[in-house]
Amino acid sequence: MAVRSVYGRATGTSPGSVAGLREEVITSAPTIGPAVELQDFSKRFGWNRVLRGIDLRVERGTTLALVGPNGAGKTTLLKCLVTLLHPSGGGGTVCGYDLREETDQIRERVGLVTVRGYIYDDLSAEENLRFTARMCGLEVSAEGYRAALARVGLERVADQRVRTFSTGMRKRVVLAQLRLRPLELALLDEPYAGLDLQGMSLVDEFVREFRAAGTTVIIASHQAGEATRSAEQTLVLREGRLEPMDHDAAARSHLSAQDIGAERA
Amino acid sequence: MELMRRSWAIVWKDLLIEARTKQAFNAMVFFAALVLFIFSFALGPDTELLREVSGGLLWVGIAFTGILSLNRTYQSEETSGGIEGLRVYPGDPRAIFLGKLFGNIIVLLAVEAVLFPAAAVLFQIEMLPHVGELAVVALLGTIGFSIVGTFYAALTVNLRAREVMLPLLLFPALVPMLLGAVNATTLILVGDPMQDSDIWIRLLIAFDVIFFVISTWIFPIALEE
Amino acid sequence: MIVTSNSGTARLIGIAALVTMLVGSFVGLFVVSPDRLQGDVQRLMYVHVPAAWLAFLAFFIVFLMSVLYLIQRDLKWDRVAHASAEIGVVFTVLTLALGSMWGKPTWGVWWTWDPRLTTTAIMLAIYVGYLAIRSFADDPDKRARWAAIVGIIGFANVPIVYLSVIWWRTLHQPPSSPRSVSPEILWTLLFNLLAFTLVYVYLMMRRIRLAKVEGELEQRVAYNG
Repeated sequence: MAVRSVYGRATGTSPGSVAGLREEVITSAPTIGPAVELQDFSKRFGWNRVLRGIDLRVERGTTLALVGPNGAGKTTLLKCLVTLLHPSGGGGTVCGYDLREETDQIRERVGLVTVRGYIYDDLSAEENLRFTARMCGLEVSAEGYRAALARVGLERVADQRVRTFSTGMRKRVVLAQLRLRPLELALLDEPYAGLDLQGMSLVDEFVREFRAAGTTVIIASHQAGEATRSAEQTLVLREGRLEPMDHDAAARSHLSAQDIGAERA
Repeated sequence: MELMRRSWAIVWKDLLIEARTKQAFNAMVFFAALVLFIFSFALGPDTELLREVSGGLLWVGIAFTGILSLNRTYQSEETSGGIEGLRVYPGDPRAIFLGKLFGNIIVLLAVEAVLFPAAAVLFQIEMLPHVGELAVVALLGTIGFSIVGTFYAALTVNLRAREVMLPLLLFPALVPMLLGAVNATTLILVGDPMQDSDIWIRLLIAFDVIFFVISTWIFPIALEE
Repeated sequence: MIVTSNSGTARLIGIAALVTMLVGSFVGLFVVSPDRLQGDVQRLMYVHVPAAWLAFLAFFIVFLMSVLYLIQRDLKWDRVAHASAEIGVVFTVLTLALGSMWGKPTWGVWWTWDPRLTTTAIMLAIYVGYLAIRSFADDPDKRARWAAIVGIIGFANVPIVYLSVIWWRTLHQPPSSPRSVSPEILWTLLFNLLAFTLVYVYLMMRRIRLAKVEGELEQRVAYNG
């Protein structure tokens, strides 16, 4: 079973494409099995045990909301999934590849959006995308970059240095980066932070497009409402441990994670 | 090759940022010129003496200036989320090492392109007849310096006492390279009837190869979190 | 191969070390006849050479343990490496001091750029770097990893430094051991070597045991503090 993705490699000479982007199908193995499977996974920094005994299974193509208070370990978990951090204990697979042994293959298929984003202030928006494309081994035409920026509403500031951008605009550059290549798993860390309503609906659109393309999405947020409304499954991460959450109750009441804690207590 | 393309992407990115901010290059050239001037004052106008020590002086200048460059190798990543920002991309993380290495070599060579002529003028040394050999020694020495420096800079970038640890680790590791570069340069400038500089050039080549292999091999371990 | 923390064995070795040191020193100082050329000063050889030998052996152990740690990621290798580095530093300083003491009456100078002395001095700097970088990480795994990297590269550098300094100082006194030595000198030297090695082993056993306890204390404080 192959994963279809909308975000294909863009070439200058591809006919019938929308502004340089075209459909592409990833057919490399393995494509069956869950997108994420963790068994007794733990991560500690020195003596600080951030993640403890995590068992997690995320099916392909689904969207998971990961909520929890600040400092609970959400960012750490996402970084572990994209192999930036090495497991301290336990193990697992991401997209079928082992977290300890096959890290290169995982990074080919997984993208991460952080709060600040990995972008360079002294480069323009387009140059940042250019760098990302090159680092991912992608060939993207000039129209492809314009299209990617237009998708996030930044086409007019494509050549401006990111230093001059607001938080919301920076977030949009990061989202554009994410979309440049086909992904099996998209990890979004606090994607709604610092965005206005327009920005937030842009994120929601992206999540919908990901889902349509079969990409698995994990959204980490300390605000339960935003994340859970797009998600099929919600889990709470508190003090390094994963717990299930009553999805509908949280979505309805727009509780923050602190409230969730109070409700349970 | 994929690895090389990604390495050059990093070089392109760093040089572009450097060209825009002009932070490092100007500071380095200024610093190198300062070193040369001070040595001129200290050693006086005796041209014979200057020529004999010129090899050492040049490489002192290059080494100190080089350390400035090394400090900023990974600092340029700081505002963009740290070296994570490079590690998150697919592919062999060694591309990060190679990219930073090539960047350092290029910047240091650019400074030397100013430094050597300046030294020729200040110390009244005839360098033109030996340009070819000097270029070879400068290249080999710069490569050796940059390999060891880029590696240790990666190791110490997050340490609190980075400014102390980097020179402390670097100095012993650089001894063979400095011996080779200084002796070769001096012999070339002063006169080398018995072609002794060959042995130093061979030392430099061996040093470069050995440390390149070791550094690229161990680099991923240095990056682990 | 790893020395155990069995205090019974340690005590035995400690006693053996003490005894052999006493005997060796006595023989070296009073029994063996002095050198024809250098006189009694030459007796320093009986402590200087074993100290030097052990300094390098200790560093080799650091290298070996570093490699083992990076392969197996078991902290016990790191403990041994750390212990060997600490003890090695002592032997290195001792070597340098004794070399200096030997040099002054023999050659008239406190320091020469003799290849072995120079390499020993540089090795000291590498050792210091190794111990220094350990102080910057609270996380024992990170600390072990950084130290292992420094240990491996540092040790790899030692033979290169040695060769380059030899080339640099080819004019200097060649290494003196190939000279024909009388059996009594040779045996005294070997006996003292044994004594020093026993001291090393004893110190290692104690230091490793201490390191283990330190590690447990660190862990307990971290979880309860």
